[in-house]
Amino acid sequence: MKKWFKTLGIAAMAVALTTAGVSAAGAASSLSGKIVINGSSALLPLTLQAANEFKKLNPKVKISASAAGSVTGPQAVRKGIADIGACDWDASMDVPGFKKFEGQVANKVAVIPFAAVVNKNVKVDSLTNKQLADIFSGKITNWKDVGGDDADIVVVNRAFGSGTRVNFQMKALNGADFMTKGSNYKEVKSSGDMKTAVDTTPNAIGYLDLVYVSGSIKALKINGVAATEANVINGTYKVWGYGYYMTKGQPTGATKAFIEYVQSSKFQNGSLKKLKFIPVSAMK
Amino acid sequence: MIDTTSTHSLAAAGELGQSIRTSSGRWKDRKNRLRFYNRAFRVICIASAIFVCMILLSILFFMFRTGVLTFETVSPATFFFSADWSPENESYGAFVFIFGTVALTALTLLISVPISIFVAVFLAEVAPAWLRNALRPVLDLLVGIPSVVYGFLGLTLLIPLLRQMTGYDLADGILAAAIVLSIMVLPTISRISDDSISAVPRKFRDASYALGATRFQTVFRVVLPSARSGILYGVILGMARAIGETMAVVMVIGNTPQLADALFKPTSVLTSNIVMQIPNVPFDSTWNYALYMMGFLLLVISLVMIVVIRVLQKRGAKA
Amino acid sequence: MSRVNQVKNRLFTISVWVVAACVILFVFGLLFLILQRGLPSLTWDFIFGLPSEIEEGGGIGPALFNSFYMLFLSMAIAVPLGLASGIYLAEFAPENKLIGFVRICVEGLASVPSIIFGLFGIALFVEMFQLGLTIIGGAVSLAFLNLPVITRVTEEAIRSVPGELKNASFALGATHLQTIRRVLIPSSINGIVTGICLASGRAFGESAVIILTAGVTTSGVMWDFNLMSPGETLAVHLWYVQSEAIVPDAQQISQKAAAVLLFVVLAINVVFRIPLWIRERRFR
Repeated sequence: MKKWFKTLGIAAMAVALTTAGVSAAGAASSLSGKIVINGSSALLPLTLQAANEFKKLNPKVKISASAAGSVTGPQAVRKGIADIGACDWDASMDVPGFKKFEGQVANKVAVIPFAAVVNKNVKVDSLTNKQLADIFSGKITNWKDVGGDDADIVVVNRAFGSGTRVNFQMKALNGADFMTKGSNYKEVKSSGDMKTAVDTTPNAIGYLDLVYVSGSIKALKINGVAATEANVINGTYKVWGYGYYMTKGQPTGATKAFIEYVQSSKFQNGSLKKLKFIPVSAMK
Repeated sequence: MIDTTSTHSLAAAGELGQSIRTSSGRWKDRKNRLRFYNRAFRVICIASAIFVCMILLSILFFMFRTGVLTFETVSPATFFFSADWSPENESYGAFVFIFGTVALTALTLLISVPISIFVAVFLAEVAPAWLRNALRPVLDLLVGIPSVVYGFLGLTLLIPLLRQMTGYDLADGILAAAIVLSIMVLPTISRISDDSISAVPRKFRDASYALGATRFQTVFRVVLPSARSGILYGVILGMARAIGETMAVVMVIGNTPQLADALFKPTSVLTSNIVMQIPNVPFDSTWNYALYMMGFLLLVISLVMIVVIRVLQKRGAKA
Repeated sequence: MSRVNQVKNRLFTISVWVVAACVILFVFGLLFLILQRGLPSLTWDFIFGLPSEIEEGGGIGPALFNSFYMLFLSMAIAVPLGLASGIYLAEFAPENKLIGFVRICVEGLASVPSIIFGLFGIALFVEMFQLGLTIIGGAVSLAFLNLPVITRVTEEAIRSVPGELKNASFALGATHLQTIRRVLIPSSINGIVTGICLASGRAFGESAVIILTAGVTTSGVMWDFNLMSPGETLAVHLWYVQSEAIVPDAQQISQKAAAVLLFVVLAINVVFRIPLWIRERRFR
């Protein structure tokens, strides 16, 4: 038993050493350095995909990407823990609930459309901004008031601080305040939880990044305009926001190269589109 | 390997351990070496124990240091007794969460303790030996199921079921959370109770049966009372787990800062509120400090419970 | 009188059987549900494959590896420390106020909610040492979580060794260390191993601590022994897939991951106990 452990330990050490050696020796691109990315979890799939592709082109660059919440991004950048802070809003300006971060540069990397979603049992197909604002602030509590069945509306909201919430509040509700209490009101922690909650709760309404809308939940038209990529690009569907990479001042070195890679038309029209985000260049 | 037949009861252990020091000088070299080993080992052990304490103290210190900054802007009275928690308006009243934690824990214990004790009695007194040996590891296994899985099952199976049974639009609330938690603490409470019931000496039971008592009477009048302190330990450990559980609770409780005055009303507890908000909180804000203060409260609650167990155990030992 | 008692007794026995049967059925139903949803579609590609952000068919390889790696690291820290302090409390510690306090500390630490260890980990590794979210941070926080449990179990197990055994060993002229090593630990190994099993099961399934200290991403390659890489474990991956991922087969991935997790916990319990069973046989 003891011997076995010893061998295992030596083997582990050997592997560790060789991997360390390999990563130091490989030299395909002259670019080197370490990029630490933190922030919005909604942008994480995009960041991870970009990091994988970028690392293949530049093996000497180490990228460590993680995510917690949007505000973590610019904060980590300010503290110097991260080089790039992914954020769902432009953190160099004030938004509802959050002050601006001085001295940070917002680099647009993607267009994120948002959609109001309902459980499939809801008969309503379209709502106006006003109706949405009234529902989410608790003034309208029954579906029959907006043309649906006689049933109580169950409101599902993201927690305060979520980037999706900030965007939805600004773009879809015209800045109206959310309700905070009630027996038909709940908050969820993430996009996946939102999807599960709306999916499994009859009469529920919530909102999601368009990316997550699929299968058994229904995206509402807002002011009669369907939430589709085409409508975002042609300017009729207004509920969308940019995804930003915040940096301390203008980015330099490897960080700059990485952001440029994400903004390149190769990535924007390739993987980014596959991930169902919209290329920044598509917006006029 | 171990000789269990020798039953000399000699003097206190500590003195015997040092007997080598006073032995004849024949193996002087070996004696010194052994002495050194003994010393070194003892020092290592002491250092480890101190280290464990240091961790707790540093956690306490750290949580308190950050948490106490809350009170620069929020008065303690507001923090503890105001039910208004809305970080967007700078009001930080944690009463809802404190009350929620207490109510949820009480409800969880109400559901899980009777069932767990029944299971423990079954395992220790009623079940045939083969079944007992098969079931104990299975219960241990339940402890290892990640709480995310419990939460997900609660969200996708339990809540729709509750909704159907009660007709509520949204069945999230402390009842749903308490049921999920009960399942999670059941193995802890029943396994520890099982151990302590099994540890009740056989002669107690024999005496009870010899007096003509039935199994029911024996279990309730003799076995359970004698295993009381062990069961209590299990209950309090389960309680600690219920208070501290996060990921499962957050998925079924609704996360709305309102007082849990009904079983099916979305509410929030200390842990679920911390985990909901900590990713989104600006570092140097009262909001952040208030969350740390809530963490400190959780810590204090569990420490108080430990002291309570200790007192109860001492009392149990005296009785 | 005795008639009533007999009825009561009968009722009691029946109700114990019924409650126990319900619980057992429930437990097996739960285990079956989790395994049955995930096991049938499990493939080696899934277990060792790299996770994917866009297409279906992503694996859990790095997350699974991180789970074991981090478990190994945290146990390498927690087991020796826990054993040593458990032995101290059981064998060397004098009975006084200070030791009573130490004991309360240990028990207190054992019941500290895991999220607190997460907050502590953030403060220590992210804010103080500025390491960011790393494997080492996660492993050490996890070790802190397990340390008190192992200490406690060791103390209990050693205390429950009959005093006669110890005295016999001393009577044969053994030193204290020899007694501990040759007599006390072997005869209490059963309890200690059970405790370590429970602790590793808990560590394996723990997510709150890891999310806060090691992040929700992996470095994206297999066999990455670098302690500074982000260390998403399987339980965290399960959470991530459920809450943020936009791959179309997120549901299946989380079901399969849950089955794998359960299976591994089962395996840990069985593998650690086999030597004990064999030993028990031999000494019966």
